[in-house]
Amino acid sequence: MDDLNKTIKDKSLIACQLCDTVYDSPTLKQGQSAKCTRCGSTLAERKVDSIDRSFYWSLAGIMLSVPAILLPIMGVTLVGQYHHASLLDCILALIERGFFMIATLVFLFTLAVPVVRLLGAFYITYCFKYNRLKPSLLHFFRAYHHLDNWAMLNVFMLGIVVSMYKLLDDTELSVNMGLFAFILWLICSTLASSSLDQDYIWQKLENEFAD
Amino acid sequence: MPIKTAKESGLALCPKCHKLNALNDGADINARIQCIRCHGLFYSRKPHSLQYTLAWNLAALLAFIPANLYPIMILYSMGIGEPNTILSGIGEFVDHGLYPIAIIIFTASIIVPLLKIVGLFLLVYRVHTGVRLRPDKHSKFYHALEFLGPWSMLDVFVVALLVAVVELGFVTSVAAGPAINYFTLTVIFTMFAASSFDPRLLWDKKQGSENTKEENDD
Repeated sequence: MDDLNKTIKDKSLIACQLCDTVYDSPTLKQGQSAKCTRCGSTLAERKVDSIDRSFYWSLAGIMLSVPAILLPIMGVTLVGQYHHASLLDCILALIERGFFMIATLVFLFTLAVPVVRLLGAFYITYCFKYNRLKPSLLHFFRAYHHLDNWAMLNVFMLGIVVSMYKLLDDTELSVNMGLFAFILWLICSTLASSSLDQDYIWQKLENEFAD
Repeated sequence: MPIKTAKESGLALCPKCHKLNALNDGADINARIQCIRCHGLFYSRKPHSLQYTLAWNLAALLAFIPANLYPIMILYSMGIGEPNTILSGIGEFVDHGLYPIAIIIFTASIIVPLLKIVGLFLLVYRVHTGVRLRPDKHSKFYHALEFLGPWSMLDVFVVALLVAVVELGFVTSVAAGPAINYFTLTVIFTMFAASSFDPRLLWDKKQGSENTKEENDD
């Protein structure tokens, strides 16, 4: 069994996440990716300039999150009355009407998870950029992966478009700065997480702290 | 090159950091493993994957019924309330001739949840019996189901936005209906169902049946 352990360390075998096929670890240049021959999913990927790109995108995302959450996204005018709402107002309105479960979930999916993911990506890339690696990053990055599926900013964006169409018919609709900030926030957070090279980070953490 | 899975080679893939771990000699393949890289605990295959998927799926299906029967949104204008179910909301868009939006909402809030529930039932059935199992097709299908999951939240976000924006006192206001709770539950349950399904079981079953076939041929 020690032999097998040694092969894993030396040749570093990898396995496909979807169908469990074992391969020798490929050596990839930046921008290349390896596909599984059995099921066609991506085995490993080496992203271009991952740490720097992710660092700056997440930094921009963190700065944009404040206006995106607090500024009004859109407003309606009807019979001389005007009312607008921001992302935070949506959650507060749901709490006011007693829909606590929906309010909690909307809060999690469109506010808490994206913000935490941005902060997480920022912290990890900051540590890598300035060479402040510590063992706690192992646990931190593992926890970061738990949130992978639960950020729904893109769905909320489509929700904004649909509700605009709904309101366009019988009210006067006005678009506010919040929408602009929200779109930029969505772009930043998507790019921050998609440019983060997980394989590279894990590999480097392992080299540093392998037992 | 013959295809060898990690499980057959006495290895196990950590689902979080994607590190292959070697199992100790004589260790139970179903036992809990601690990853040597990220120190997380995991299993070689998700334990009771099919049962969990089935259970979440049933719960989703049950929640989907009241989600469609109760109104999801109540539109008050001049003090008169007009309840809207998911389907009648879509019908309104069709009446106004906004077909693209109608199709988007119909896909996100009716087709996707149903497709996920039916699709996962089918996958569980196929894995359990091994009848007409095509892992390459089925794992792509599973991937698509997993990707589509969050988009069903569309209707919930639309209602949340409308409730907050359309608040003009007596003239017009929008209130959320009870169906929104059930609908959200449906979406969450199908997401849990999809994430508790282990696509590697598809390949295991296929490989297993091929191995026995070869033995029989010999």
